[in-house]
Amino acid sequence: MPKVRTTPDLILVVVTVILVIIGSMMVYSASAVWAEYRFQDPYFFLKRQLIFVGVGLAAMFVTVQVDYWRLKQIAHIILWICFGLLVIVLIPGVGLVRGGAQSWLGVGAFSIQPSEFMKLAMILFLAKYVSENQKYITSWKKGLLPVLSLVFIAFGLIMLQPDLGTGAVMVFTCVLIIFVAGARISHFMFLAGIGAIGFVGLIVSAPYRLQRITSFLDPWQDPLGSGFQIIQSLFAIAPGGILGLGFGHSRQKYFYLPEPQTDFIFAILAEELGFVGGTFVLLCFAVLLWRGLRIALHAPDLFGTLFATGIIGMIAIQVMINIGVVIGLMPVTGITLPLLSYGGSSLTLMLTTIGVLLNISRHIR
Amino acid sequence: MKRVSFVTVRKRLIFTLIAGVILFTIMMGRLWYVQVVMGDEISEKAEDLWGRNIPFEAKRGEILDRHGEVLATNVTAPSILVVPRQIKDPAEAAEQLSEVLSLSKEKAYEKVTKNESIVRINPEGRKITNDLANQVRLLKLDGIYVAEDYRRHYPKGDYLSHVLGFAGIDNQGLTGLELFYDEFLSGEPGHVSFYSDAKGRRMPNLADRYSPPVDGQHLKLSVDASVQTIIERELDEAEAVYNPDGAIALAMNPNTGEILGMSSRPGFNPEHFQDVPPEVYNQNKPIWSQYEPGSTFKIITLAAALEEGKVDLERDNFHDPGYIEVSGHKLRCWKKGGHGSQTFLEVVQNSCNPGFVVLGEKLGKEKLFNYIRGFGFGEETGIDLQGEGKGILFDEDAVGPLELATTAFGQGVSVTPLQQVAAVSAAINGGNLYQPFLAKEWIDPLTGQTLMAQEPVVKRKVISEETSAQIRSALEHVVAKGTGKGAFVDGYRVGGKTGTAQKAKDGRYLENNHIVSFIGFAPADEPEIVVYVAVDNPKDTLQFGGIVAAPIVGNIIEDSLRAMEVPKREDQIEKELMWNDTPLLEVPDLIGRTVRDIHESYYDFSLEVEGEGDEVLLQSPEPGIRIHAGSTIRIYMGDKSPPDQ
Repeated sequence: MPKVRTTPDLILVVVTVILVIIGSMMVYSASAVWAEYRFQDPYFFLKRQLIFVGVGLAAMFVTVQVDYWRLKQIAHIILWICFGLLVIVLIPGVGLVRGGAQSWLGVGAFSIQPSEFMKLAMILFLAKYVSENQKYITSWKKGLLPVLSLVFIAFGLIMLQPDLGTGAVMVFTCVLIIFVAGARISHFMFLAGIGAIGFVGLIVSAPYRLQRITSFLDPWQDPLGSGFQIIQSLFAIAPGGILGLGFGHSRQKYFYLPEPQTDFIFAILAEELGFVGGTFVLLCFAVLLWRGLRIALHAPDLFGTLFATGIIGMIAIQVMINIGVVIGLMPVTGITLPLLSYGGSSLTLMLTTIGVLLNISRHIR
Repeated sequence: MKRVSFVTVRKRLIFTLIAGVILFTIMMGRLWYVQVVMGDEISEKAEDLWGRNIPFEAKRGEILDRHGEVLATNVTAPSILVVPRQIKDPAEAAEQLSEVLSLSKEKAYEKVTKNESIVRINPEGRKITNDLANQVRLLKLDGIYVAEDYRRHYPKGDYLSHVLGFAGIDNQGLTGLELFYDEFLSGEPGHVSFYSDAKGRRMPNLADRYSPPVDGQHLKLSVDASVQTIIERELDEAEAVYNPDGAIALAMNPNTGEILGMSSRPGFNPEHFQDVPPEVYNQNKPIWSQYEPGSTFKIITLAAALEEGKVDLERDNFHDPGYIEVSGHKLRCWKKGGHGSQTFLEVVQNSCNPGFVVLGEKLGKEKLFNYIRGFGFGEETGIDLQGEGKGILFDEDAVGPLELATTAFGQGVSVTPLQQVAAVSAAINGGNLYQPFLAKEWIDPLTGQTLMAQEPVVKRKVISEETSAQIRSALEHVVAKGTGKGAFVDGYRVGGKTGTAQKAKDGRYLENNHIVSFIGFAPADEPEIVVYVAVDNPKDTLQFGGIVAAPIVGNIIEDSLRAMEVPKREDQIEKELMWNDTPLLEVPDLIGRTVRDIHESYYDFSLEVEGEGDEVLLQSPEPGIRIHAGSTIRIYMGDKSPPDQ
């Protein structure tokens, strides 16, 4: 393995920092009213977010220094630990229930979401496994089936919480890795068929999901029930117009849009900064995707390529699902917007992961 | 490790990038669609969510007489509104409010903590004085608003009250014109809206939006305030003199259907309508009451007979023995012993019942009833007021000779005063039945421009111009020589007809309890006004229309025509003098004559002489004016100036 390191991808660094700054500003603006009401301190969430930014950037600086192939060696261990945590979080009384899902482990502010870690662990493991067994990738039995079984088990555990958003991001990311690794298109067709059947199965098992789906198509059908969040989100975005109401001038953050600093932060951003601000953020993420895929393309080995693909794919998919929900293109799922949403584990993990991506960029050919 | 399929990996990475860019582009497109294309539509819905409206009442349109005199207007009377969720310290706010508005602390606290977006304080905080409102403003309490509001004010009190009606606490019309034209008068309320957060509190940093109310339109009536004043005065006087159960007066322009004045007793003050029983303010008697018209109805019979050529007033004669027999019943004339032999003109003058029975018989029931319906009886006149009566006519199939006979002189039918006025107007105006109306013009409150003007509505032509002229002449005779002498006004050529109707209760006529009425018009050559007066059960008098109602109509006509600046006429039918009448004589020209000369002329006047001298220099009244015999003429004497001075 080459030991020569160049400078990391500076564009990626700059865009990441820009997004984190915009995120912190918007966390403050979106949360100030709620923070004032709840904690009598408008800076309550901002202060915490800035601490997470600090911790996340520190972690990023560490991972930038750690050569990425070292992670290969602990991929198995991390995966097994994450599987363990996913099981533990389901034990009644151990996992913490928040927002109707038993997704958290720990105490108060010092709690983590095992599914978030599983997402990354699975990317790491898949990148390693597929890169080592690329010759079997075109085979169904030897290549795809074992890999997909593993992903399916992890997805199943996550859906027991249930956390559809995180589960979906993980599955889509894994599919992307396999796709890039060179799996057959016909296999994907087959998988798509299975996916469709599974999708129908999920809806049959929990009909509220169907309501969520129809509600995003016509939220005014049930404005106080399943359509409520979409409507409140659109009520924020639409008045923003081209230039927005101005920073701090959101109206929907006045208790209309629930917890505007987390999943729906993009709605407040579009309200205050308008189409221009929203497009700027989308462009930043597009640039992020471009730089990430460029790193994957020029990575020194297939592991690096697939690992980078997984990391940037995860970020892009999560962005698309989150913003897709906020602007009414997708049913409500409930995941954060990478780098912008308030949330300790989400932000620090994201920055740590981008650090890994940056490390790969230091070795590109 | 060898990278066997790197080309594939490379292709797929590029494919991924392109797919990602496409997806991001779709998202930008969607953002554009929501924020720019659908922006306004969705924003409007959002505004409804955020906005809380503090209403601003519209000013109710004023009601004016035909010359612009104000009959109903508004005075500012602000109302207090509470937005409980904006109140920071409910206990303190309740305490302060209770002091200023003098309501109990408990009630105040209940209002400021009520779980509603906007609360009114009724009645303590409703339509209060400006002074009180200022005190509330000075409290500077969050969540307490002083909203502009108005109270209806009727500057002339009892005046025209049944017609005007009144408006309630929400400025909504409740009776009369206020109710009938509520839609136009009330306007559209405006509001100040502030942005509210999801917890109902005021959103900071956002300006309130004010959408101004659209004030109601001003209503200009056909009513002439001076005519109405005369009517009110005459009814007050009639009430004082006769202490009747009720009284009605109605004046209309016969050539257009414009109501010039309308009133009835008992009256009420619209601002204190609670002081009288509901039937007083709910019943506008000139349009609501239905009763036997009595002899005034004979005008209809007369009109029908003339139009059909059944009678020649001058040449046809009739002998009245004091009664007439109709299918075995003796129908009596009001005059014992009858009127003897008379022309039909005298039949009309004398209001001779048997004579009209003969006219009715000549017409036959079909023709008579056709004319009755033609003149508008049995249907609403269509005046712009609610609660109009239709009247009751005999079912034509059930009409036998007896019913025909009584109908001909005005018994056994039931009509409203307004129907009679409209019908008589048609009889004397050349034959056109007009739809009576009150709303003459609608005026824009801002520009003062006329938005809408009511044109007279002719419902139908009932009789010919020639017939109408004959009726005018016959009715002038009634006033000059017959039963209507009480209504005579010198120079104004009053025509008219008396009416005395027995009141019926439970199907029987009451003893000594009549509605006495008179319907008159003037001048007979070119009528400008029709006046109807009815007095219900006048006390301490003979209950005859000619005695009670005719003089009132005469007074109203005389003063109204003078107010309307209608010139006096030269050629009138002179009044036939009664034993207590003094004749009207023309004042002679005395100027230049000597006292001795005057005394030798035996004038029927007394003289009041002033000044010293041989010749009359000035006199009062001036020559040519008509005054009663025996009146005094003042003359000023002096010496004729020598030519050389």
